[in-house]
Amino acid sequence: MNSLTKVRVAGLIALAVFIGPQTKTGSLASAVPDTGTQTITFNRDLAPIVFRTCAPCHHPGEAAPFSLLTYGDVKSHARQIADLTQKRIMPPWLPEPGEFQLQDDLHLTSDEIALFRKWVDDGLPEGASADLPPSPKFNSGWQLGEPDLILRADSSYEIPASGSDVYWNFIFRVPLEQTRWIKAIEIRPGERRLVHHANLIVDRSQSSRRQEKSPGSGFPGMELQIESESFDPDGHFFFWKPGTILAPEPQDMALRLDPGNDLVLNTHLQPSGKPEKIQPSIGIYFTQEPASKFPLLLQLENDRKLDIPAGDKNFLVTDEFKLPEAVSLLAIYPHAHYLGRDLLAQAKLPGGETKTLLHISRWDLNWQAVFTYKQPVSLPAGTIVSMRYRYDNSEDNLANPNSPPQRVRAGNRASDEMAHLWLQVLPQSIPADSQDPSRVLQEAIARHHVENNPDDFEAHYNLAAMLQARGETAQSIEHYRRALSLKPGDATVENALGSAYFAAQDLPSAIQHLSASVKVRPDYFDSQYNLGLAFANAGQFPQAIEHLRVAVALHPRDADAEANLGAAYAANGDTQEAIAHLRRALELNPQHTLARENLAALTRP
Amino acid sequence: MRSLLSHRLLLLPTLLILGAFLFGAGNCVYAQSPLDLNGKSADPLAAPVGKPVVLVFVRTDCPISNRYAPLLQKLHSAYSAKANFWLVYPDKHISSQQIRDHLRQFGYTLGALRDPAHVLVKRSSVSITPEAAVFDVHGKLVYHGRIDNWYEDAGRSRPAATTHELQSVLDAVIAGKPAPLLTAPAVGCYISDLE
Repeated sequence: MNSLTKVRVAGLIALAVFIGPQTKTGSLASAVPDTGTQTITFNRDLAPIVFRTCAPCHHPGEAAPFSLLTYGDVKSHARQIADLTQKRIMPPWLPEPGEFQLQDDLHLTSDEIALFRKWVDDGLPEGASADLPPSPKFNSGWQLGEPDLILRADSSYEIPASGSDVYWNFIFRVPLEQTRWIKAIEIRPGERRLVHHANLIVDRSQSSRRQEKSPGSGFPGMELQIESESFDPDGHFFFWKPGTILAPEPQDMALRLDPGNDLVLNTHLQPSGKPEKIQPSIGIYFTQEPASKFPLLLQLENDRKLDIPAGDKNFLVTDEFKLPEAVSLLAIYPHAHYLGRDLLAQAKLPGGETKTLLHISRWDLNWQAVFTYKQPVSLPAGTIVSMRYRYDNSEDNLANPNSPPQRVRAGNRASDEMAHLWLQVLPQSIPADSQDPSRVLQEAIARHHVENNPDDFEAHYNLAAMLQARGETAQSIEHYRRALSLKPGDATVENALGSAYFAAQDLPSAIQHLSASVKVRPDYFDSQYNLGLAFANAGQFPQAIEHLRVAVALHPRDADAEANLGAAYAANGDTQEAIAHLRRALELNPQHTLARENLAALTRP
Repeated sequence: MRSLLSHRLLLLPTLLILGAFLFGAGNCVYAQSPLDLNGKSADPLAAPVGKPVVLVFVRTDCPISNRYAPLLQKLHSAYSAKANFWLVYPDKHISSQQIRDHLRQFGYTLGALRDPAHVLVKRSSVSITPEAAVFDVHGKLVYHGRIDNWYEDAGRSRPAATTHELQSVLDAVIAGKPAPLLTAPAVGCYISDLE
């Protein structure tokens, strides 16, 4: 009798935030005239700048509080615009101009900014109508046309009228019957005036659902921790910020979505002065083209070094990582909370030359974003990518969540800090069977995190999961054990460690740890399934049947669970039950080879 | 210290010219005096009622003044026995109905006035929404400026205010003491952009 030995492992990937799709490109260059003595007019001089950099948010239905589409609109906010552009508060664009161009760059030049002030001083002349460029057109509906699938959050969230910023998460349960490829997802966060940003994150194991008080209620939290399969190759950013114009994922880089996967929308909301409700929607666009290129997300971080004394104005945290493979850098996402001040990301090339990948000299969490390079940045093997983040925990930092300042350490709450830099990279070399460059990169970064954080649960867990997937069972057990010692009794790591022992054919240890996992979380499909298999392999079929029955009840559409339950019944001598479950497995997956073979063996005359 | 009388003397000719100009341009005629939401002249400073008067200048489309709504409502509730609170809308393009909608949406129970000719704006020496002006029991302007220091600039705010100027001025004036400060810079939208 054949017995399936598929072992499921959940890998933890600590997700702070994810990046988003490319926003629209506004490449309408504004001609800056010689402002010496010439009178500045709205139609000739300002409208091109306003239409390009203000109007994408300042139009009806968008995030900004008023429109800036006409001479009258701009005139009625003229001094404010002159003031806020001069202070570089508007338009909101954090990066300094640098060597690598970014999509949707909203940076204004000093000359452009000077025009607004001079226009006010000149008396706000409108100018000749012939000079006015065409008004920008904005699509108020779905940006790429009607989506293939529209999902609305199960329930709305009520934002109080006042108080500090709110972080709320909505889970979208995607009703898929089979694996689909996604070329774009439009995030419609609801009333946009209230939303600073929103990140959509794939949750392949429904791990976020455990945080909901009731199904569909959503849950609070600034940072998300998502469990996922150990080698999820899809490192995509789906990020919304005011003014975002949706662009599909790059060619050949569709996102895989499997039945049972959830999409979790992490939103940053700001009270408006009156109670408001928000109920986001997402529109999903499928493609028939499976991905052939798999970008991945590399995270630099050094949260362990975040211990910022009260009053410290210039606290430095750094991290650096040597790339074992050549990559193309597609996008970059820096992340800190309210004390971040100066965020620098650099690359030291093997030849010694240092390139600035991103520099934000005045960090503002409210305008955080994923920045996508107009042209991917090529980083050869051996390049050292680094982050240097400076924090201001003094009274001078207006955004300081503590008054008076307090000692601040790393954590997930808004009053804690973070030092993260996410790089979306595409490995440049061709995967060979033995050397998948994605795995090489992921394992290297996992080792880097263990070196940085020898007492960090997730670092050990992630490294262990990668080693396990590469067949390095002994090493993976070592790191799972470290993870378990850091989080005793954790159901996820008990399951993973049990499955590693299973792979090492140490069935008593496997059963011990898998039993611990199901005891903590009886509704954990993976560990019930794995424990059933472990018992079956140990010849303890009644126990195997007990746990596989629970697994089938938890996931009634899982063909593997049905097939194994059938096999266990057969081994236990209950042919009728065995045949019923094997048939059910074949209903769910007619190509299920082992179910078919076992059924044939049982029904052979 | 400014005297209210001199403001009136200086202002009247300007306002007459403004009214005539607008009439000549074919626009609506804007009354010189502030108006209540029924369109009747209403001067919150005309007849001293023995209480200090607080005017808070707001704008329906100014996000910062909107975010202050819960606090303003709270201050009004706390001080209503001891001071008269008014919201003043200086945008001449906003109708009484739009103001009523705005009050309802933001849960305001304060009295509201329109100030299309900026009479109260000038008497209060304010330039921003939101900005507060406090007049003592004699109708003398004793403070104009920010409500508190929540915002340092548009787009740059503290998680919560650490100084509470309007409240400390009100406490002093109600106690018959001089205001602890005459002015503090308000942050928000320029009223002059509405002219």
